[in-house]
Amino acid sequence: MGSEPSHFLMKPAVKEVEGSTYRSESNRVIILERREFMRKICLGLIIVGLATFLTSGIGSAQQKFRIGCADPLTGIFGRDGNLVKDAYTFWADLVNSKGGIEVKGKRYPVELTFIDDKSIAAENAKFTEKLITEDKVDFVLGGFGSDSVFAGSAVAEKYKYPLISGAASSNKLFDRGFKYYFSTIGKATEEVRGCVDIVQILSPKPKTGAIIGADILFTALACEGYKKYAAQNGIDIILFELFPITLQDYNSMLLKVKQKNPDVLFVGSHLMVAMKTIKAMKEIDFTPKMVTFSYGPTVPDFVKNLGKDTEYVLAASEWAPNLPCKDPLFGTAKQFNENYFKKYGRYPDYVEAASAAGAYAMQIAVEKLGITPPVKEEDRVRLMEELHKQNLITFYGVVKFAAGGANEAHPPVVVQVQNGKLVNVFPKDAAEAAPWYPVKPWKER
Amino acid sequence: MLLFLQSLLNGILLGGIYASYSAGFSLIFGVMGVINLFHGEMVMLGAFLTYWVFTLFHIDPFLTIPLSIISLFIFGYLVQRFVINRVVEEPPMISYILTFGIHLIIAYTALWIWTADFRTVTTSYSGFNANIGGMIVPYARLATFGLALLVVVGLYILLYKSEVGRAIQATAQDKEMARLMGVNINRIYAITFGVGAAITGIAGSLISTYFIIFPQMGLPYTIIAFCVVVLGGMGYIPGALWGGLVLGVVQSLTATYLNAGLSGAFTFILLFMMLVVRPAGILGKGVVE
Repeated sequence: MGSEPSHFLMKPAVKEVEGSTYRSESNRVIILERREFMRKICLGLIIVGLATFLTSGIGSAQQKFRIGCADPLTGIFGRDGNLVKDAYTFWADLVNSKGGIEVKGKRYPVELTFIDDKSIAAENAKFTEKLITEDKVDFVLGGFGSDSVFAGSAVAEKYKYPLISGAASSNKLFDRGFKYYFSTIGKATEEVRGCVDIVQILSPKPKTGAIIGADILFTALACEGYKKYAAQNGIDIILFELFPITLQDYNSMLLKVKQKNPDVLFVGSHLMVAMKTIKAMKEIDFTPKMVTFSYGPTVPDFVKNLGKDTEYVLAASEWAPNLPCKDPLFGTAKQFNENYFKKYGRYPDYVEAASAAGAYAMQIAVEKLGITPPVKEEDRVRLMEELHKQNLITFYGVVKFAAGGANEAHPPVVVQVQNGKLVNVFPKDAAEAAPWYPVKPWKER
Repeated sequence: MLLFLQSLLNGILLGGIYASYSAGFSLIFGVMGVINLFHGEMVMLGAFLTYWVFTLFHIDPFLTIPLSIISLFIFGYLVQRFVINRVVEEPPMISYILTFGIHLIIAYTALWIWTADFRTVTTSYSGFNANIGGMIVPYARLATFGLALLVVVGLYILLYKSEVGRAIQATAQDKEMARLMGVNINRIYAITFGVGAAITGIAGSLISTYFIIFPQMGLPYTIIAFCVVVLGGMGYIPGALWGGLVLGVVQSLTATYLNAGLSGAFTFILLFMMLVVRPAGILGKGVVE
């Protein structure tokens, strides 16, 4: 082809045009008229289509609040991320069952959009940006896990979108000087305070401890929290080790801990880490006097999967259904607990309660400010300012955000698995039962 | 000293687990030259099969092993017969892409069906162990180790003492010549894949009793199987046992005496060194081409 002269290619094309299309002047006029007619038809269709789109699409979108959430629905935090999704869905369904969020006497339904970040923090940032810039949602809510929320909230800050999370508590989240980040749970290091302070009511008081935890943002900080409060309680930490969250076999690592013979094992954990730890402890026959986790045992799957092996396990919590708190939407803590069970066939974990409370806090602020959809940037700035001033009583307890965004009004609770159920054992004023101590050796159970 | 011996024992038992799910990977590579990137998903399927049979019908995990063998054999046979056989003669990159695609399909289908929940099989005897002179021996891991040995011996008998085995060996050595001698290559490939999948299913069933299972658990198992097979010698079946033991012991001693975080790093250093210094594996009997 390259060696062929150009006229060889062009000539037949010209012939085709001359010979077949423009055979005569009259034919040409008819064809042009037809084209003009088709053009008008197309234009009409485009106008009708656009009008339909504008009235049914954007038009109806203006009548509801569109809220987005980038959340790990698969991957290593897939289970935990789905808990957060369930909590927001529970809130949205409840609000929508009443007609929506009430602003100036009119109700606007809520529409939630979830995007799976696959437990990858960078993906969370990407999808949060997509929700804001492409999907143009009115508000965003935080997903599960400090790493993901750390990344996603930076994007939200950039676009001036207030982001409330109920499932991320690493201290670093609150130390960035952000104005648009809020959390209904406290700092990770504070969250485990109760799990160490509980030694004050145990007899004989434990003297030594080992701290292990997965080397990711939240759990590493939980381990730092254990260390800090252990020092305050006079517990000598004889081993401190962080390990990769992907570690498959825990037996040999826990063998080292067993060799040191600590009175207490403090674990910086997520659900999977907590489950693996219990499995390995039993396999290597390791029973310290007390074992406590930063997160995991409060997820119903923990007791469901491991059964009796979970007895005596202590865990940090930020909420309990027997707390004397209530609000107009969810009712009392107990009612929230029961209604959640009716909807999902299981009781909520504390991050679910915290996430629902976060969405509720946003709803109350929106109602108070009279913000209507579609929400403009200045409305979101006002919302941020209102959230900083908020001092809200909810079924979850008081929600009051400190300057960095952490909920400063929330005391940590300690729960223990007793007879297959989680019961509050600390602090004393929220306790349902005395803590079981010391842990019975595996062979005697 | 007791700590060292206990850590060594833990490593050997861990090595048995690694060998149990790597033998099938080695077999498939040895015969067809396919690096199966959905190998971990077969572990997952075996584990979930046991989990559901245990949960729904309360049948002991060990009794579900025959079911895993049959189901995974059929699965492996069909996948090879109707999917992988179409590309088995193509350059390796095509089979990588295909098996990676199957990995994604299985993992995400499982996620869709079973959700991202973490599960495990907890029986009345879960975590039970024997104390022998101060050394703790978990029964489930010991059983897995025993089964890994049985699998290797069984594969040896299958390959060297049966007609099908000889056909598999002939195909692995020179498929053109085997074809000329009347061996149905595609059928042999499918049988080999089926056998590889079946023994991987056994490992999955046992793993469900002491590890946590979830739909997306597969990829780390594929990576470990690859490391084990490189250490033991690519395509050399008993090498899976040697590779598993070396990896298990190195990881266990690292976790006990140094830091659990370093065990992963040591795994890949070992893999790198082996590929550079001794690419045919510890015993030098693997395929290096």
